[in-house]
Amino acid sequence: MGENMTPVYLQDSRPDFAPFEIDCGTIPAFRYRGSLRSEMAEGRINAAAAIDLLEDMLMIREMEEMIVTVRSGAYEPLAGFNYRGPTHVSIGQEGASVGACSALILKDHITSTHRGHGDSLARGCCAIRGMSIEQLRKRVSHSTATTREELLEQALEEHVYRTIAELFGKEDGYCRGRGGSMHIADFTVGHLGANAIVGGGVPIATGAAMGLRYLHTGGVVCCFAGDGAYCNGVVLESLNWAAQAQFTNEMAGKHPFGVPIIYFVLNNHYAMTGRSDREVMGVSHVAQRAVGFADNRMHAEIINGMDVLATRDAVMRAAQGCRDGLGPYFFDVDTYRYFGHSLSDPRNEYRTRDEEAAWKAVDPILTFQKQLEDCNVLDEQGIAAVVKRVRGRNARAAVRAAQAADPPPADVIKYMYTDTFVDKVPPEFAKVEVLEPLAPIKRVNGEITYRDAIKEAVVEEMLRDSRVIFYGEDVAEYGGAFKLSKGMLEMFGRSRVFNTPISEACICGTAVGAAMIGLRPVVELMYMDFLLMAGDQVGNQASKWHYMSGAQVEVPMVLRVSVGAGKGYGGQHSQTLESTVVHVPGMYVIYPSTAYDAKGLMKSAIRDNNPVMFVESQGLYNEKGPVPDKEYLVPIGVADVKREGSDVTLVAYGPAVPLALKSAERLQAESSVSAEVVDLRTLVPLDLETVLMSVQKTGRCVVISQAVSVGSFTGEVASRVQQEAFDYLDAPVMRVGAKNGIAPQSHVLEAVFYPRVEDILVAVKSIL
Amino acid sequence: MVKAVTMPKLGQSEETVKIVKWRKQVGDAVAKGEIILEIETDKAVLEVESFFAGTLLKVVAGEGVTVPVQTTVAFIGDPGEAVPDVAPSTTPAATHGPKHESMGPLTRPSPDGHPLPLEREKGLSPLPAERVVPSGGDRVRGSVTSQSSNEGSFQPSASPEVFRISPRALKLAKESAIDPTQIAGTGPGGRIVERDVRDYLEAHGYNRLRITPTAKKLAAREGIDLLSLAGKANGNQITVADIERIVSERPKPLAHIRQIIARRLTESYTHAPHFFVTVSADITEVEALRATLKAQGTAYTVSDFIVKAAAMALEEFPIVNSVSDGEAVRAHSSIDLGLAVALEQGLVVPVIRHANELTLAEIHLRAQDLTARARSGRLMPDEMTCSTFTISNMGMLDVENFTAIINPGESAILAVSSGAKQPVVKNDQVVVRTMMKMTLSSDHRLIDGALAARFLNSIRKHFEEISLWQRLT
Repeated sequence: MGENMTPVYLQDSRPDFAPFEIDCGTIPAFRYRGSLRSEMAEGRINAAAAIDLLEDMLMIREMEEMIVTVRSGAYEPLAGFNYRGPTHVSIGQEGASVGACSALILKDHITSTHRGHGDSLARGCCAIRGMSIEQLRKRVSHSTATTREELLEQALEEHVYRTIAELFGKEDGYCRGRGGSMHIADFTVGHLGANAIVGGGVPIATGAAMGLRYLHTGGVVCCFAGDGAYCNGVVLESLNWAAQAQFTNEMAGKHPFGVPIIYFVLNNHYAMTGRSDREVMGVSHVAQRAVGFADNRMHAEIINGMDVLATRDAVMRAAQGCRDGLGPYFFDVDTYRYFGHSLSDPRNEYRTRDEEAAWKAVDPILTFQKQLEDCNVLDEQGIAAVVKRVRGRNARAAVRAAQAADPPPADVIKYMYTDTFVDKVPPEFAKVEVLEPLAPIKRVNGEITYRDAIKEAVVEEMLRDSRVIFYGEDVAEYGGAFKLSKGMLEMFGRSRVFNTPISEACICGTAVGAAMIGLRPVVELMYMDFLLMAGDQVGNQASKWHYMSGAQVEVPMVLRVSVGAGKGYGGQHSQTLESTVVHVPGMYVIYPSTAYDAKGLMKSAIRDNNPVMFVESQGLYNEKGPVPDKEYLVPIGVADVKREGSDVTLVAYGPAVPLALKSAERLQAESSVSAEVVDLRTLVPLDLETVLMSVQKTGRCVVISQAVSVGSFTGEVASRVQQEAFDYLDAPVMRVGAKNGIAPQSHVLEAVFYPRVEDILVAVKSIL
Repeated sequence: MVKAVTMPKLGQSEETVKIVKWRKQVGDAVAKGEIILEIETDKAVLEVESFFAGTLLKVVAGEGVTVPVQTTVAFIGDPGEAVPDVAPSTTPAATHGPKHESMGPLTRPSPDGHPLPLEREKGLSPLPAERVVPSGGDRVRGSVTSQSSNEGSFQPSASPEVFRISPRALKLAKESAIDPTQIAGTGPGGRIVERDVRDYLEAHGYNRLRITPTAKKLAAREGIDLLSLAGKANGNQITVADIERIVSERPKPLAHIRQIIARRLTESYTHAPHFFVTVSADITEVEALRATLKAQGTAYTVSDFIVKAAAMALEEFPIVNSVSDGEAVRAHSSIDLGLAVALEQGLVVPVIRHANELTLAEIHLRAQDLTARARSGRLMPDEMTCSTFTISNMGMLDVENFTAIINPGESAILAVSSGAKQPVVKNDQVVVRTMMKMTLSSDHRLIDGALAARFLNSIRKHFEEISLWQRLT
């Protein structure tokens, strides 16, 4: 074992009921007292950088004012242009976005919100300003400019252009018009996406930061989200996730390092119209949220978000802290949204004009302009020149964007899936440290269990590629609820195999974020029923980001979900929900029925660059089957004829396959009916061809799954078969599934609830 | 500007007309006056011209649909113009065909003025609710404890007429070019499945048939049962020529106008007991007069003279100008003479109204106009309806004698044959005269032989009375 400590950790919590008090400590508010003059005097900013701050704030305001005016046809450069799309403008919040982004460096990341034009523009501008001449040249590759100054100016204009083009739904937009205003993202500068689900981006940011921690990049994630999001479950789960003790205490072994994330709360005091201050929250300040998640209160502070220098200062400090392993950080940034939630919100139903006027009096741009004049950085003409430059650049970009090409309608679902996978592991990830090798899984007559086949696949892929990490509830010392991961913690250490909070949404959401920054997480949901806890992160995030980003990003994650049907666990631990995931396109869905397929498909799933939901049947975990010693893959999207026959085709997947095979044997023995069994193996992508070939031969088809039949994927298969093979059908396509109800606990009831061989025989005989 | 094409009211009697065929399709350019659709009234098939030029933008009422006159059937305008959303105002089928006035109204007006069917047509009664057994999760009558199966099981009705065949079996039957309706089904519910078709083919020696592949394909396309050809083929092998022969021998639907003729004449010939009386008229002098008049510039036809003569005879015998259904007799108040005109596609009978009040010259002009327009298909329905007596002249077709079938609504018809020179005894001298046979068909329910003879001889008398014609011309 040498230097490597066994990662097994035994808790020693003993009863101790001695009275004591908890001191929750204090949260500083508006601690920053600096000014442009003091910052310059201390050498923390120079005149050029100060002008950049003004210019970036102006760029945001100019663009958002364009959105406001273009809607009413009053934006002169685009008179008559019809803008369709959201109008969630952040005018008033420029100081917060620009100050924060100006304190980040190129290798850092942000996530943003539905009100994210400012964050997106600011992140792009600040990142571009930090680029070397080579990086700029790459960014504006069509340019013939030679000086850095020219390249920079072209890159900035291109940035505004691609931003507006995305708002206008154009192919030249950052997301090729697939995302739009609320999903804008530029992964080349670490912008991991604005998110139209309030709070939806926070677990992604957390997972990305967790990934940066694992990769030791020194990068930081600044997670922009509004005050409204901090009432949402997944956001609070994320705070807990990032602050887990195991990342920083002795369990972290050689790398005690806090998750490098800054929760930057854009607290504009209103959710949509719900008032955070005295209506929909019970704390006076959002900052107080941090107290509940970490003993150090996540370094929580309240920051003046109307002062670009205050937000810059805060993020500079936090970013440095994160790079030193002191994350996470929590900033409650006090700012204001001059407009309503959108242009259809008149605002006067829930706040006063006086309140608005008071905030406008501390406008981040005007107050900063005054400081620039006071410090003789720019005089009135100088400021006017900056305004003119920004206005001209934005107008040129807007006109160009309005005239840019729309995406071709034929490409409407292009970018739904990627066809890439990891063929060769880059050398820097091919070196894997093994602490305590796992004893090889014993084969009896060349057979191992379905459970061990999956385990062997994950272990082999973790040995092959250090980007593969594995986490879920109770998967570490305990080895998982079904002992599938037993020994994996000991083998790979806690940095790659760790327990998570009971936090299904975050398990899935952090996997999305980690996958976005280059990891290949394999995560486990103990029961498929819990998938519904993670609905947004699976359906709206994992499944959608490849398409919504216009294929900028791939989300290579494997979501293992285990189906508990048939154990008398009742309605919340027995469901087969793959059909619900199939109905939200964007994620591959695999459901193997044999040990051989399970291993080969799991290995393919981990190497694939699409998000994959890998469904496992607890009823099959102990089923043995032949699994070769040597490496093999089973391709995703290829069905398998498990038994040949000529009279009827039984289409099944998962645990319905052994059921179908048993039925086929009985049909042969009792009625001399020859049944062919087609195992779909993957639902998405669906190999319909194999099914059709079989139906063409037999003329009869029964589609079987363990799921309740209402809304089941079996209906999709049946419908496609009748659509594409109608002339070959000698009888209606039948379906067999669980009763259209809720799985009961009673053994007697459960026995008739799930499909049985008898049900299949009845269905087959009814169409012979 | 979008213009609505309304169904013209072509006659006094039509309330509804049936659209037979759209000559123009949506998107076609339409010139003003161009024929855009064919319609069928109770009497005839007619063509409808467009009043507007433009593009046919929308067809509101499709082929086979019966619509009230003066309702919108289509829109014409410039391509791309928006078209008002108009529902076709069809009329229930029950109001067509023989009218059942005693049955009371089958329709009631809807708020927008269109008739609404009061009840479904027979044979289309809605499925009784009991037939549908809801699946679990759906509402179940009188019970919330659904024990039903996963599949909502639809119980097919006991109706034995439903022909049930699986798509696979149907495909095989089609590819084999056989008629599957003779096959006994052994699948669930008596459905014919693939094995039934195979068994049937085997049992009927299909596999012993020698069929060329092209013949088989053609037979499948034409829906010809190859088994019906067994033994009938020329030689042992069924070839394309055999199939083509059968196709060519197949009944084809009559033209609409022929169907109308068939219906009307069958009705007349089966309802009215016909009998026939023939006379020979001496037309020598009339022919001479016609030649003289023609030389003077007016080419009267034999028919002109016959019309006038018949009109005069009808004045004398008003009973012939009446109609009976065997129970009552109805006298026509005017003498309107139908003139049968043979067209390529059938027969039309334009009417010379009040023929008894017209001069010969007027009759001539009227007959000439009607005949010409009949030949060019431009008669209006009113000009072809409600004649009271009809003349069918085949004189130009070199026939010695023929009989005609009475037009429905009339009691007699006059069949006029060709004139021919014959030796005739006149004043005990054998002389050569031009003789023409005329045969009157009469409805024996109303007209007896003596009356027919007197009436026919009256026509002959007027026709031969040259002094009369000299006076009239």
